Amino acid sequence: MSTTSKAPHITRRTVLQVLGMGAVGATAAACVGPGSTAGKASATAPKSGASASGDISFAHWRAEDKEVFDKLIKDFQTKHAGVTVRQDISPSNDYQSSALQRIRGGSVGDVFTAFRGAQFVDMAKAGIYTDLSGQPWAKNFSADLIAAGKSGGTQLGFPYQVVFNMPVTNKELVAKAGGSTPPKDWDSFLALCDKLKSQGVVPIAWPGGDPGNAGQLFNSMVMNNAPSDDMCAKIEAGELKCTDDWFLQTLKQYVELKPYFQANSTGTAVEPCQQIFATGKAAMLATGSYHIAAVRALGAKFAMDLVSPITTTADKAKYEGIYNATFVLGVNSKSKHQAAGVAWLEYLSTPEVAGQYANGTSQHVTVSGVEYTNPDLKALSPWLDKKTLLAPRFQFNNLDVRSAVEGACVAVVGGKKPEQAAADAQRVVDQQRKG
Amino acid sequence: MSVSEKSPAVRTGEPRVALRRNRGGGRAPKVHPALWLFPLPAVVIYVIFFVGPTLQAFQYSVTDWDGISSAFSNVGGGNFSRITTNDDLFRGALTNNVKFLLVVVIAQTALSLLLALLLQRNSKSSTALRALFFLPAILSSVSVAFVWKFMYDPNFGLINQVLGGVGLDRLQGAFLGDASKAIYWVALAQVWAHAGQLMVIFVAGLQQIPEELYESAELDGAGTWARFRYVTWPLIAPATAIVVAYTTIQSFKAFDLILGLGGNPPKGSLDILSTRIYTTFTNSRFGYAAAESVVFMVIIALVSFLQRRAVRLTQHGV
Repeated sequence: MSTTSKAPHITRRTVLQVLGMGAVGATAAACVGPGSTAGKASATAPKSGASASGDISFAHWRAEDKEVFDKLIKDFQTKHAGVTVRQDISPSNDYQSSALQRIRGGSVGDVFTAFRGAQFVDMAKAGIYTDLSGQPWAKNFSADLIAAGKSGGTQLGFPYQVVFNMPVTNKELVAKAGGSTPPKDWDSFLALCDKLKSQGVVPIAWPGGDPGNAGQLFNSMVMNNAPSDDMCAKIEAGELKCTDDWFLQTLKQYVELKPYFQANSTGTAVEPCQQIFATGKAAMLATGSYHIAAVRALGAKFAMDLVSPITTTADKAKYEGIYNATFVLGVNSKSKHQAAGVAWLEYLSTPEVAGQYANGTSQHVTVSGVEYTNPDLKALSPWLDKKTLLAPRFQFNNLDVRSAVEGACVAVVGGKKPEQAAADAQRVVDQQRKG
Repeated sequence: MSVSEKSPAVRTGEPRVALRRNRGGGRAPKVHPALWLFPLPAVVIYVIFFVGPTLQAFQYSVTDWDGISSAFSNVGGGNFSRITTNDDLFRGALTNNVKFLLVVVIAQTALSLLLALLLQRNSKSSTALRALFFLPAILSSVSVAFVWKFMYDPNFGLINQVLGGVGLDRLQGAFLGDASKAIYWVALAQVWAHAGQLMVIFVAGLQQIPEELYESAELDGAGTWARFRYVTWPLIAPATAIVVAYTTIQSFKAFDLILGLGGNPPKGSLDILSTRIYTTFTNSRFGYAAAESVVFMVIIALVSFLQRRAVRLTQHGV
């Protein structure tokens, strides 16, 4: 039989018809309205004590905490046979940008974390949290520190870390410059910087080339200048403007700080700043307490403390510093192992475990009754009782607005006139508000 | 004799591609209908992962969908009108992208051509040097970003250290921290990373040029420049077109290099169109980001078209 007679009955026309139908189908599928995968209202999580089993994914951004979490997971698994926990860690910037879409898919993040602010708000809106209100272990947390995990009165998450987003100091260098007590006003702060500079030390290591970390100084710079504590939310809402006097004053104060930053500070990333600080070449690291562990890992032996630039006169200063309650722990509403997720959170909420985490990672926690044995945490513990403001930069829910406002501060250090930088930032804010 | 009798494919039972008359009167190969099934898997994948999302991007681009809610409004051309008239961030990213594109296309094409001209012979030293210059091309963009992040660091970076070491302190700078020049420094990193890769395309093009043409040009009294202008340049037109088109697309998509050097999201001075769109998506403004993507697509298509025309005109006009 010839090959021709064996030919299957598929003509070019048939194939084109099939492909055509496929293309029409794909087009129709593509035209399904957006939002068809939107989140549902958050379901209530199982109460602790429910039978827990399964392999759960714990999604977070703290690669530096992996080792400590590994130890805790090992202990947790021995106490909860049938539950295994694996860590899904992304770099913090990636986590900020892509975690929501990954977690809402349900394949990772049975238990997940969120940054306080825009990310928590978006995750709550997407309905990926289960309602954790009424969990018996919630009382383990300090009530005033977990408010950032509430949405519409419902406790969706539990902030776990308390960090101080304000400059860390080398106590020895500051003491040598006569700064044994923290400066109480702007003039004293500049005088301290001047003294440090005259001693051949970089007064402030500021990572102006790294927007995420450069913005931490912004918290301290606006905390006493702004007319209200929710200044960033008000800028975003259009109730305050970057061209207002208080913000211009803040920008001018950034210009005053410029001589006290390391050379070419607008191009410096955070790692070189840590290096300068760790080697004793800089007296302050203008990021936050969350970098203390990294600085220690670089070999820093000196005692550390915190200091916030007080940008006003002493009598007008409302706050001494900045704190943030973040690393908001939640249970995924799409998880098939919610009981195991709740058990993991309950375990983390016990003071003993929270203490191991805190002391192992050099970060304070929101859990009450924790004994801080880590020397750095012990030294910084008085700050837990000082008059500090919840980091205002996380009030921004629109990241472009945040970048524009904080970018103005970097721009003036780079040489732009404060009025121009303020006007440029405000124009972006206005455009974003209209969008 | 019939066409099928003439066809060796039919006689041997090999994949049967017979000849038949096409509409123009010439002979076109006749394809067995079953062969049409072969591209089907690729077409299905293309439709699902490219055609579908592209159509969706067009649909989303006229909405204000936030990527989360089930509710959204149709805003018609509102997103497009805002992008073109009232968005400093998009305009800034476009300006940066054009600067980046110009520097990369010109510098990378010129450098890769120069390297190819110098290293086109297959001697041992040329081959070794070609391999050396090609080396950065096998690095991932993230690795390239880390290398250059170190180079550009104002405090510990190689460039400032060398400048300081030779007494040129006044030339030390903030590099990526200098808002007016930052994008050019990124362009330099991009050129470093890809010039060797494009050199290979030029070398292949140069080696196709018959030696006799150079000999006759020499006999006609043509000098080095004249030989390049009237022999080499027109005959490497196909290679140049490939290099320029590739470099253009690459310049628009230098996403990971920018994020590696500038962080995520990058500051305004380093933002280009691809990173701007990504930031808008991250900012839960899917509808607007889709509109930005559509504009981005149109810009790439337009620039690529104009470039191909320009290359053709340049090389046919010599």
